[in-house]
Amino acid sequence: MGHEGVGFKSGSTRSGLPTTRSRVPRGRQIQKTFNNVKITVLCGFVTLLVLRGTIGVGNLTGSTLESEDQRVVEDIDRILREIRTDSEPEPQDPLSSLYFVNSTAHNWTYAEAVEAVNYSLGPKISDWDQQRQVWLSQNPNFPNQLLGKHRILLVTGSPPNPCDNAIGDHYLLKSTKNKIDYCRLHGIEIVYNMAHLDKELAGYWAKLPLIRKLMLSHPEIEWIWWMDSDAFFTDMAFELPLEKYKNHNLIIHGYPDLLFEQHSWIALNTGSFLFRNCQWSLDLLDAWAPMGPKGIVRELAGKILTANLKGRPAFEADDQSALIYLLTSQQDKWMSKVYVENSYYLHGFWAGLVDKYEEMIEQNHPGLGDERWPFVTHFVGCKPCGSYGDYPVERCLNSMERAFNFGDNQVLRLYGFAHKGLVSPKIKRVQDQTSDPLQVKEKLDMAARITM
Amino acid sequence: MLERCIGERRLRQIQRGVQNMKLTFLCLLLTLLVLRGTIGAGKYGTPQQDFIELRQRFISHPHRALAEQNQPEPKPKKSDKDDEPPLRSLNDPYSLGPKISDWDSQRADWIHRHPERPNFLTKTKPRVLLVTGSSPKPCENPVGDHYLLKSIKNKIDYCRVHNIEIFYNMALLDAEMAGFWAKLPLIRALLLAHPEVEFLWWMDSDAMFTDMAFELPWERYAPYNLVMHGWDEMVYKDKNWIGLNTGSFLLRNCQWSLDLLDAWAPMGPKGPVRTEAGKILTKTLKDRPVFEADDQSAMVYLLVTQKEKWANKVYLESAYYLHGYWGILVDRYEEMIENYHPGLGDHRWPLVTHFVGCKPCGKFGDYPVERCLKQMDRAFNFGDNQILQMYGFTHKSLASRRVRRVRNETSNPLEVKDELGLLHPDFKAVQHHAS
Repeated sequence: MGHEGVGFKSGSTRSGLPTTRSRVPRGRQIQKTFNNVKITVLCGFVTLLVLRGTIGVGNLTGSTLESEDQRVVEDIDRILREIRTDSEPEPQDPLSSLYFVNSTAHNWTYAEAVEAVNYSLGPKISDWDQQRQVWLSQNPNFPNQLLGKHRILLVTGSPPNPCDNAIGDHYLLKSTKNKIDYCRLHGIEIVYNMAHLDKELAGYWAKLPLIRKLMLSHPEIEWIWWMDSDAFFTDMAFELPLEKYKNHNLIIHGYPDLLFEQHSWIALNTGSFLFRNCQWSLDLLDAWAPMGPKGIVRELAGKILTANLKGRPAFEADDQSALIYLLTSQQDKWMSKVYVENSYYLHGFWAGLVDKYEEMIEQNHPGLGDERWPFVTHFVGCKPCGSYGDYPVERCLNSMERAFNFGDNQVLRLYGFAHKGLVSPKIKRVQDQTSDPLQVKEKLDMAARITM
Repeated sequence: MLERCIGERRLRQIQRGVQNMKLTFLCLLLTLLVLRGTIGAGKYGTPQQDFIELRQRFISHPHRALAEQNQPEPKPKKSDKDDEPPLRSLNDPYSLGPKISDWDSQRADWIHRHPERPNFLTKTKPRVLLVTGSSPKPCENPVGDHYLLKSIKNKIDYCRVHNIEIFYNMALLDAEMAGFWAKLPLIRALLLAHPEVEFLWWMDSDAMFTDMAFELPWERYAPYNLVMHGWDEMVYKDKNWIGLNTGSFLLRNCQWSLDLLDAWAPMGPKGPVRTEAGKILTKTLKDRPVFEADDQSAMVYLLVTQKEKWANKVYLESAYYLHGYWGILVDRYEEMIENYHPGLGDHRWPLVTHFVGCKPCGKFGDYPVERCLKQMDRAFNFGDNQILQMYGFTHKSLASRRVRRVRNETSNPLEVKDELGLLHPDFKAVQHHAS
């Protein structure tokens, strides 16, 4: 032990030689260590390279999930951009070049523009009522009434491309489900349109060629009910009082005083209205369409409408203002067959309704359709699909969720469930399951009070 | 002491030798790694495979190649934690609801009392309710909701032409049966609430109708209560987990179906029940990967193990695509348009194109996102063309959203019939009797 101790103490090189060697080994030591370090670093570097090449690990600490996430998100963004920009150049309005380029030349008036464009929804039909009667008598398997009720076709739609705002598509989906539910409960068929049938009548005017097309293709349908994609059914028990409309062909929500006395541009609402399938309706569509064609016609028409309708801002002609202008300027021709309905909310402006839902649940019951339990809550101006609405986005989305759940509660009730709250997507059971479910069903009244 | 035994030079030699050995060994290891990475060492695997395996082990990610997960698992958030049900233990049996044993007579009574809602629309055509759905929360993937919207429009179109009602579900009726199992409590609730419905047709949200003219052969199914797409040999002989598909199937509203749902449900409850059941399924069924129990595998297992009880009322349909796996169909659409016509429903013109594995609502599917979305667009347009032709239009191409006119407007619209006869088809005709 003593020897070893001496041996150990005598030098780090274990050679046992005395201090004469310590200076040289010191230098060599440093060199050796330096070499070792070099080799280690080199080897480490090579290992990293190899691993990176084989496994593809940019950062060995396992954040690859995030990078994969990132990659997927980038992929989706790129695909979204491709999908959104998938568009051909817009068709040129044949007269627009004249309008803009040559200002010293002839200034088009609205009447001249209409005549020059010469737009028509289709070949003139004058005997549609007879054609339809003949067809119905020849096709008893496609009657215009089912179980004593006239057949209704609900028409709605949205553009074929994804919304600029992703949440917009989610609310289109919910709105569609909401319409499917109401229509299933009331035996109404649905057409969801995503096609631009007429490039000239694009935008809000697109409903005109669509309505005409559906009327002419489906003679078995008595009423065509247009409904905007941002309108929700909030009274699932309310049935349209069709007997009231025996002698009318256009049912539209509005206020007669605003219409006839004030000529207000919001006197009527074309977000939810009914057209009877008859000659009169075809004639009205033909009289309504001329302000619609994109470009110079629509712009000049817009100026006329702003000049004649109270409160209308300056922008191109829209279908609602055009209809109001038409009905007020040709009152004698059309108004006898138009029913301006305001005894229930065939269209209900959302801002005044959505905050009162809890109060309604407390005090009223479904089936009323009016301010106590609105039939339709219409999110005018929210535009969840586009980038800019007229109201704060959060308020709009929150309110749409509430309206959807308010209506959905009335459907879920049939199965014994309800939403946990008007903003919650979660549901809770409100009626226990039983081994005699049909007894419960017999007693279930859609129009009865809802206890949450 | 070592020096004393061997001598210093020797020692130094040995040390050097050892260092050389270390270096050699290190270099050899490195060479092997590189070779493995580049050439791939067969059954010893490559680093890429290692990595994937590691990832899979640490993140459970069921790799369902030919099956589908229709609803994303609800992620536990702080607010959800309180109302998450406690995980069911293996000894606690699950029940869909109180046992009903006389459903057939209850239902017959009700139908008798309500002649205005008959369960058969004509002598042969039953009243059918198509059931589908999606999560009430916005999709993680920003375009997911857009494709759900297109998918529901597609279903609305088919069902309008064929006089079928639709129920779009957005509610999770039973938190224990979340995910692909959510359809079971929903189906049971709908059967019991709608005695007038004769057949309930479940369809996944990622399945689209591509043959608008094909009417299901209802008379063929008169003796059966459950119709699924699949093959008898693959289910009963091979016990293959994809021998049938539960993404699109018909279930008759009767006592037998309630009993089937009760027998099908036990493998579903989230937690240890589902995990353990998954192991049994992987062991018993052919080619099934390791993951928790899913409704499709459980159905195969049920039919295989209780064949005598159920098989005589189950029809595995393979004559047409009640479910059509998209991978083998979508590239052939142009060929189909060239050579065939709608109304066939089979490989020549599939009734349903089902985008199994695409998961457009979530972030990760089993296939590249681009291929899935582009093909879903094509399938949608392929079906939509058959609807648009009723009104005289068609898409400019299968990839284009734009439409063009193919039939001019006329002043005698009722004399013109659409090519496929879908405006007023026989299968939509109302039974002509005093209403």
